[in-house]
Amino acid sequence: MASRRQWWIGCFAACLIVASGLSLPASAAPPATPTAADAPAAIDFERQIRPLLAGRCGDCHGPDTQESHLRLDVKHRALKGGDFGPVIVAGKSGESELIRRITSTDDKKQMPPDGDRLSAAEIALLQAWIDSGAAWPESEADRLARESDRDPRLDHWAWQPLARPAVPPAPADDSPVRNDIDRFIQSKLAASKLFPAPEADRRTLVRRLSFDLLGLPPPPEDVAAFVADESPDAYEKLVDRLLASPHYGERWARHWLDIAHYADTHGFERDQLRPNAWRYRDWVIKALNTDLRYDDFIRRQIAGDVVAPDDADAVIATGFLAAGPWDFVGQVETKSDVLRRQARADDLDDMITQVMTSTCGVTINCARCHDHKLDPIPQREYYALTAVFAGVKRQDRGTSAAADRQYAQTKADITAGITKARVDVHTLAGKPIDLADIVGGGNGRGTGKKGFGIDPRSGKARDTKAEGFLGDIKVNKLSPGPTPLVNAVFIPNGPGDVPVSTTGLVVKGIPETSVAAWDVIRNGPVNQQFSTKLVSTKLGEVDYAKDSHTILGLHANAGITFDLAEIAKQARLANPRFRGVVGYGGRTAEAGADFFVFIDGELVSQGRIGFDDGGIPLDIPLPPTARFLTLVATDAGNSIGMDQIFFGDARIEGDPAALPPDRQAALAEATGRLEKLEAELNALKEPDKFFGPVAGQPPTVKVNIRGNPETTGDEVAPGTISAAAGLRAVFGDEAVSDGDRRKALADWITAPQNPLTPRVLVNRLWHYHFGAGLVDTPSDFGLGGGKPSHPELLDWLAAEFIARGWSLKAMHRLICTSHTYRQRCVDVPGAAAAAAIDADNRLLWRQNARRLDAESLRDATLAVTGCLNPEMEGPGYRDFDYEEAYAPVYRYVTPDKPDLWRRSIYRFIVRSTPHAFLTTLDCPNPANLTPARLETTTALQSLALLNNDFMLRQAGHWAARLEKEAGDDPVAQVRRGYALALVREPDETELAAAVALVKRAGLPQFCRMLFNANEFIYLD
Amino acid sequence: MTMPDAFPCRLHRGDVSRRNFLWELGGGLGGVALMTLLAEEARAAARVANPLAAKPSMFPAKAKAVINIFCPGGLSHLDTFDYKPELVKRDGTPFDTTGNVQFFASKPGNCQQSYWPFRQHGQCGRWVSDLLPKLAGHVDEMAFIHSMQSKTALHGPAMFMANSGFILPGFPSMGAWVTYGLGSESEELPAFVVLPDHRGLPPGGPVNWGAGFLPAIHQGTVIETAEGRPPIADLFAAEDHATLVAGEPAGREFLAAVNARHLGPRSDNSELAARIAAYELAARLQLSAPEVTNLSGESEIVERLYQLDHPEIGPFGRQCLLARRLVERGVRFVQIYCGAENTAVKKIRPNWDSHEDVVRDHGYWGPILDGGASGLLADLKAHGLLDSTLVMCQTEFGRQPAAQGKGRDHNAGAFTVWMAGGGIKGGTSYGTSDELGFKAEENPTHCYDIHATALQLLGVDHTKLSVYNNGIQRRLTDVHGHVIESIIG
Repeated sequence: MASRRQWWIGCFAACLIVASGLSLPASAAPPATPTAADAPAAIDFERQIRPLLAGRCGDCHGPDTQESHLRLDVKHRALKGGDFGPVIVAGKSGESELIRRITSTDDKKQMPPDGDRLSAAEIALLQAWIDSGAAWPESEADRLARESDRDPRLDHWAWQPLARPAVPPAPADDSPVRNDIDRFIQSKLAASKLFPAPEADRRTLVRRLSFDLLGLPPPPEDVAAFVADESPDAYEKLVDRLLASPHYGERWARHWLDIAHYADTHGFERDQLRPNAWRYRDWVIKALNTDLRYDDFIRRQIAGDVVAPDDADAVIATGFLAAGPWDFVGQVETKSDVLRRQARADDLDDMITQVMTSTCGVTINCARCHDHKLDPIPQREYYALTAVFAGVKRQDRGTSAAADRQYAQTKADITAGITKARVDVHTLAGKPIDLADIVGGGNGRGTGKKGFGIDPRSGKARDTKAEGFLGDIKVNKLSPGPTPLVNAVFIPNGPGDVPVSTTGLVVKGIPETSVAAWDVIRNGPVNQQFSTKLVSTKLGEVDYAKDSHTILGLHANAGITFDLAEIAKQARLANPRFRGVVGYGGRTAEAGADFFVFIDGELVSQGRIGFDDGGIPLDIPLPPTARFLTLVATDAGNSIGMDQIFFGDARIEGDPAALPPDRQAALAEATGRLEKLEAELNALKEPDKFFGPVAGQPPTVKVNIRGNPETTGDEVAPGTISAAAGLRAVFGDEAVSDGDRRKALADWITAPQNPLTPRVLVNRLWHYHFGAGLVDTPSDFGLGGGKPSHPELLDWLAAEFIARGWSLKAMHRLICTSHTYRQRCVDVPGAAAAAAIDADNRLLWRQNARRLDAESLRDATLAVTGCLNPEMEGPGYRDFDYEEAYAPVYRYVTPDKPDLWRRSIYRFIVRSTPHAFLTTLDCPNPANLTPARLETTTALQSLALLNNDFMLRQAGHWAARLEKEAGDDPVAQVRRGYALALVREPDETELAAAVALVKRAGLPQFCRMLFNANEFIYLD
Repeated sequence: MTMPDAFPCRLHRGDVSRRNFLWELGGGLGGVALMTLLAEEARAAARVANPLAAKPSMFPAKAKAVINIFCPGGLSHLDTFDYKPELVKRDGTPFDTTGNVQFFASKPGNCQQSYWPFRQHGQCGRWVSDLLPKLAGHVDEMAFIHSMQSKTALHGPAMFMANSGFILPGFPSMGAWVTYGLGSESEELPAFVVLPDHRGLPPGGPVNWGAGFLPAIHQGTVIETAEGRPPIADLFAAEDHATLVAGEPAGREFLAAVNARHLGPRSDNSELAARIAAYELAARLQLSAPEVTNLSGESEIVERLYQLDHPEIGPFGRQCLLARRLVERGVRFVQIYCGAENTAVKKIRPNWDSHEDVVRDHGYWGPILDGGASGLLADLKAHGLLDSTLVMCQTEFGRQPAAQGKGRDHNAGAFTVWMAGGGIKGGTSYGTSDELGFKAEENPTHCYDIHATALQLLGVDHTKLSVYNNGIQRRLTDVHGHVIESIIG
C-alpha cells in the first residue's frame, strides 16, 4: 500500500514539473511562426531529423535523462511517447505534442525549456517530416536499444508464439508407446530414470473412462462386454462409444460451467430467479455433444448475437457473458448513481475476468486498480477490455432477432384488428368511460396519461413516477380533483364517519388505519415499496398492464370520488353500470389490504384481498339518480407495507340490451370478432427467452484510477492485452460499435496465432483427464501461475488441436488412447522408488487416483440405485421450496422423486443459498470462477454420506433394486451390488463379510455403507 | 495453492501386512483386534491429517478465539454509540440545501437527532444511548471505532466486504482465514461455527461464511440454535430411518473393514487414510455437538444473565451462550448473527434495516443485542475467558443523520464497530465521524483495519496470511489494512 501510494505521488510530482516547468528558466523570444513553404521537398531522416532530435532534445530526452519517461533519440521510445502518451502522431503534425511544445509561446510548456528556441526552419522540417508520415528507418542503434529495452516479462513462455515441437523418440524399443503423447512423457521419465507403469486392467479402465468421459459408472453389462471383447481395438471402440454418448456433453458441460460460474439466480442480496438461464446450459451440452469446433464455441459465446443474430443457437451461446452473478439492488433498485456506477464496474469486471481467464488464462482482474503486479499488463489494457463489453448488459432477452420480429409483426396485426373491432363496438354501443383514464387527467376516453395520477393530499395532478411515503398528511380532508370528473380525493381514517364528497356525503364502516399513505392514485400500477418485482399487474389470468386494459392503482390509504353527473356529460350511456375487476397488486401471499366501493355513500362492495385472491369482478348497476361513485383502499390494520389495490378496467359502461335489434346484431358480430382476436392475442406465445447480454452503443470508457469509478483518467479505446506476441491489441476507436468490439475480441482470442487459447484449452483437457494439468494453474498462465511440467508436449498438443480442426473429441481420443492415460495407478512396480524422485507424480509415472466430485458422486449414486432420470435439456430441477420475498427464500427438500433425480448438471443452481449436501462434498460456489475443484476430507463429509436423508433413501431404493434383480439370496444381492457400485466381483472374504452384514443389519445397511466406501468414491 | 500441509503417510508396509494378517484371522467379521488396530491407525492418521490441527501463531497472541457478533441491515451508529450534540442542535432543520444528495433509496429529509437520549458511562465516560443500557455498563471493557466506512451502501456487497474484505462474493471470510492460519484447539468440534438468527440467514446467505478459494473445511459450520433440532446438518440419521440407525454399528464395522482392505495396496495414498480417519472424527462430533448445545447444565444465574426465557431476547441470548460454550471448548471462531435477511414480513423488520421506523425497528432489536451481548461479556469475564476471547460487533454500514420519514437510509460514510476482550484496551475509541455522523472524519477506516487488528491480536500478521489465487497473493485485507495500535492493551 505504502509503496503504491509513493509511486502515485512520485508520478504526480513528475507531472507537475513537466506541466509547469517551474524549475526551468524560460527563453525570452517566441519563435517565428513557420510555414510549410519553409520546408524542403524531400527529408533525409538520418541526416536531417535524427541529429535535430538528438541535439536539441537529447539532454532531457536522451540516453541519460528521460523527463516524463520520454526519449527521442531511439525509434521505439520516440514513437511510443512518454507519460502523457505519444508525442508524434504520424501524418498529423498539428496533433503532435512535439510540435505543440516547440511552437508554444507558453513559458510553462515550451520546449526546449531553456537555451535557444528551435529555428523556424527546424520546426518546419519536423512538421514536414511528421506530416509525411514520420518515417524512421530502424538503425542498428535503434534495434539494439529496442531489444535491450524490452520488458523481460514479455519473454514469459505463455506469450510466445506456438511452435510445433518435434516428437522425441521413445526411450527404448520396448517402451509402451501407443501414440506421440507417450513419447513426450516417456522421454522425460527416462531423463529422471523413471519408467511408465503397466497398463491397468480392463475393469479399472472402463470405470476410469466412464466416469472421466460421462461422469457415470459403467453398467455391469457394458463392463462384461468390454472385458470379453477380444478385438485388438476393443479399447478404442470403447472410447469412441463413450464419446458418442449424450452423457459426454452433460459431464463436460459441468467443467465449462464451473469456469463460467454459471447459476440460475442472480446472487447478492436479492437473489432472484433466472428462469431462462438453462438455455445456455443446454447449448453448452449440445455444443460439446456435436463437437462444435472450439474456435466457434468461443466465438459464439462472445459474439454469437453479432455474427448470426437470426440463429437462436448462436445467440443463446452468448449466455456465457451473462452467466455470472449480478447485483439487482446495485444496478436497478438503488437511487444512488454512485452506487450504480460501482455495481456496474463490478459487473464488467466479472464479465471480462470470466472471458479472459476462461479462454486465455489471463488474470486480467489484477490490473483493475493498477498495472498487473506480475504480468506485463498495464492497467490501461484492463480498461481496453472493459471497453469491449461496456455496451453489454445482462437480462432476459429473445433468442433470435428473426423470432422477435415475427412475433412483433403478428402481435401488431392482431392488435390492429382489435383496435378496429373495439371502435366498431364503441360506435355501436357507446364507448365506456374509463376511470383510470380520468385519474390520468383524461376524459375517460383515452386522453389521460399512463402513469400520471392525483395526489390524495391535495387533489393536484401529479406527473412524476417517483413518489414514496406521503408526508404531511391530513386524514379525512377532502380535496377537489384536478378535473370536474373527480369530485374529491382524500386519505380515509375510521372508525368514525369519513367524508367523501364536497356535497357533504359521509360513509361509515371504514376501519382505523395506520394514518399513513404511500404514492398517489395512479392511472397504472402504484409504486411498490421494495421492488418492481413484487408488483403484479395480473388479476387472475389477465394482465391489466397489457394491451388495452387499464389499471386504476389505489395504494392504501386513499380514496377517490367520481362525479357521475359530470361523467354522464361525456357520454350518453344507456342503463350505465360500473364494471371492472378489483384485486391485489402485490406479490405477498398474506391478505394485504381492504377495498370499498360506495354509490352515493352507500356501501355496494368491500373485501380484504391478497395475491392469492385473484380478481374479484365488479358489476354494479348505476341508478339514473346516482351522483357519486367512491373507491377506497385501506391498510387492513397492519401498516402500509404492501397495500396496493388495483382496479382493472374500471369503467362506466352502457347496457347493450337497451339498443334496437339491428344494432344489437351488428354489435354481437363486432363483439365476437373482438373476443376472438383478444383470445388470439392471449394465446400468442411470446418468443423464447434466455438470460444473456443485451448490447447497445458502449459509453466512453476511462481508466478508473485505483479502480475507483469516481476518479477517472484517460479515455481508453477498445482492445485487449498486448503481451501475447504477434497480435494486434487495439480494436479501433470509440466509434466502433459494440458488436464489432466483441467480434474483434472473439477473433483475437480464436486467431490461430493466439498462443494462449489452444494452450489453455488442451491444458484444461489434460487437467480433467489426469487430475492435474501440465500447467497446474489452468486459468492462470501468467508469471505467477505454474510452470508447464512438459512444455514441449503442451505446445505439441496445442498445435495438434488446431491441426485437428479445434475438435475436442479428437483431443479426448488422442489423450485417452495414450499409454500414459491407460497406466495403472495401483500395484505399480517400483512405486516407492518413483515416489522418492517425483512424489507428486508430475512426470506421470502412473495414472493419478481420482476422487469423484460432488455431482459425480450424486449422479453415480442415482445410477447405481437405478433411480437416475435420464431426461435431458429444459428447465432445471428445483430441489427446494421457493418463497417470493424481497430477498427470495430457498429451502431445500430431500429429492425423493423422479423429477428430482435428473443428473446434477440440470440442477437449478441458487447462488445465495448453496446446496448444503453438495457444498459439503466440495461443490464450489458459483460466485467463484473454478478452474480446478478443491478436494477436502472432513468429518462433515462423512456425516453427510452416512446420514443425509437423500443418501439413506437412495440406500433403500438400491436395496429394492437388488432384491428385484438378484432375488432373496444375500450372496446374489451382494454380488450384484458390487458389480453396480464397484464394477467388480467381491472376493470370498468380502462376500462373507457383506453377507454377514446383510443378515445382521439388513440389505439397506449394506447399500448405505458401500456408498461410504473409499472404493466407491475413488477411481484407480 | 499449497495446502497447509501435505499429509505424510504413517501407514508403513509392516502395518499393512499385520492388518491383512488380522483380517484373514478374523474372517472379515470385524474381530476385536482388527477393529482396535484400525481405530488406532485412524487416530494416528487423524493426527497427521487433520488440516484443522492447531498451528502456532506467528508471534505471541493475546486472543485465542474470536466471537464476532454481526448486526445485519445496518445498525444506526447515531442512535447507539456515536453521540452527536450538533445533530441535536440541528434537529428538524434541512440536512441538504443543495438538493443534490441522493442516498441509497431516498433524498435526505431533515436532520434527525438520536431517538434515544445519550448518557456518559463507566470510568472512561463514553457516551452510549439509552437504547443499550446494559451494554453501556461494559464500556470500560470496550473499544469503539467511530470512523468506519464501507465501499458500498448495498447490503449484499457490504456484508461481503465486512466479512471477507471484498464487495464481490466468493472471497474467504474472516473466520475461514483465521482457521486457515491457526487451525483449531478443538479436535471434536468444527473450527469455525456460525450461529444464524432463528428467523433465517442474513443478506447474501452462506457466502458470508464461505471459504472462497480456501479448502472447504475452512467454511463456517452452521449450528442450529433453535432448541430441539439437531445442531449440525446430518449429524444423525433422521428418525424415520430407524432400521438403518439400529444396524449402524455393524455397518460401520463392515465399512472399516472394506476400507482397510481397499487401503492395502494403496497405502501410499494418504487421502484414503485421512478419509477413514474422518469417520472417527465424525463419531466424536456426534458426541461433542449435542453436548455443547445442551444447556441443561447451565446455572439459573446464567439463564437469567442471557434472559433465556424472554420470548424476544431469549433466542439471541441462547446464541451468545452457545458462543461462550464453543469457545470454552476450543473453537477458534464463532460468528453470531443478530438479525436475518429482509423478507416480506410486515411490521418489524427482521434486521436492523430501519428505513421506515427507527423507533419501531431499532426499538425492537436494541434490547435483543443489549441483553445478549452484555450477558456474553459478563459471562466470559466470569469464566475467565474474556482476556483470551476477542468479542467484536460489526455491521455492514451505518444510517443517515437525515430522516427518511420516521426511518433512516443506508450510510456507508460512517458507522461504529466495537471490540472487547482478547487484548483490547477497554474504554478507548479510535477515529471520529463528522459533527453530524454523516462521514468519517478523523482516521477514516475500512473493515481492513478491523481485520488487521483482530489478526494481530490472534498473533497473525495480516500481510503474511496469504494464498495465491488467480494471479495474485490474496489476503483478508486485500492490499490494505493497518493495525489500530491505540486500542490494543
